[in-house]
Amino acid sequence: MNPVGRIGLIVTVTAVAIHFTGVAYAQADFEGIWNPQHPPRMGQPDPASVRLTPEGQAEYESYGPDKDPTLRCLMPGIPLGLVDPYPLEIVQQDHQILLLYEHFHQVRRIFMDGREAPDHWLPSIGGYSTGHWEGETLVVRTTLMSPDNYTWTNGFPYSGDEDAYVIERYRRDGDELTFTGEVHDPRYYEEPYVVNGRWNFAPDGEIWEYECIPEFGGIQ
Amino acid sequence: MLFIGFSATAHHNGATYFDISTELEHSDATVVSYDLVNPHGRLVYVFMDDEGNEVEWRAELPSANNARRRGLGGDLFRPGDRLTALTGSPSRSGANFMRLTRVLFANGDVAQITGRNAGVVRAGTE
Repeated sequence: MNPVGRIGLIVTVTAVAIHFTGVAYAQADFEGIWNPQHPPRMGQPDPASVRLTPEGQAEYESYGPDKDPTLRCLMPGIPLGLVDPYPLEIVQQDHQILLLYEHFHQVRRIFMDGREAPDHWLPSIGGYSTGHWEGETLVVRTTLMSPDNYTWTNGFPYSGDEDAYVIERYRRDGDELTFTGEVHDPRYYEEPYVVNGRWNFAPDGEIWEYECIPEFGGIQ
Repeated sequence: MLFIGFSATAHHNGATYFDISTELEHSDATVVSYDLVNPHGRLVYVFMDDEGNEVEWRAELPSANNARRRGLGGDLFRPGDRLTALTGSPSRSGANFMRLTRVLFANGDVAQITGRNAGVVRAGTE
């Protein structure tokens, strides 16, 4: 085989291998512990700017402290747990990215190997997350989230409908990790609910245990 | 009981459960109990109200993890401690309950409970 043919064969074999393994090789290094440095209001939008549908408005107005899962020591899940005032550890593997939150020990698996949610996957508080790289930006799509959840702890609702989903975009600039999350929930929102987050790289950071005692939810 | 103006720093769900547009202050209180746990710490204290009756209040603190990272540890209060003044935002429920923002100890130390400058300032070091 001549040199040109040999190079062509190598390229072809490599492309086929990547296609069949489905591994999306990391385009940026997010690995490590990140300390929260979120914008005001924990990165949530000004409540007055959120455009709820009439059904969403009714749900919002029916909210009470007894419905806040975190005050009952239940994991916030998604979308409620997209940002929180605690450190986050990120572990990057070829087939998945792990988001290990100190808050409630929440663990998220972002599958990067091209798989989709299996048919048997039931709606859950954290949903099912898949991701891909757009240049150096990690794009995560989460579906199958439980209707027993909220978008924010002030009562902004989340329907859990089949057509509802969340898109997250993470990007690293030096020692800063920024994030934008879009909650797409047409039953309750006229337009996507957008939240922003920011973390600082903390090579000496620590993830602490988060034991939670419901009697100290402190809502009365 | 004294109400004073307050410029709040948004923090998690505080405004949902507490009226952070205002603050109240309790003077000459005595600590009954203190638990620094997640999701929120809790201080129970008593003081004499304007009618001379002893009343018991509860105060919410940040989570144990966030408080400890700011130097507000589990030994911040002990039963029987005298507190010169406690400041916080009242619960929207109307209960004897507030979100604690600041404490002045009898020895002059000040504990800032919430906000980016949370921590203990020792008397004479400010």
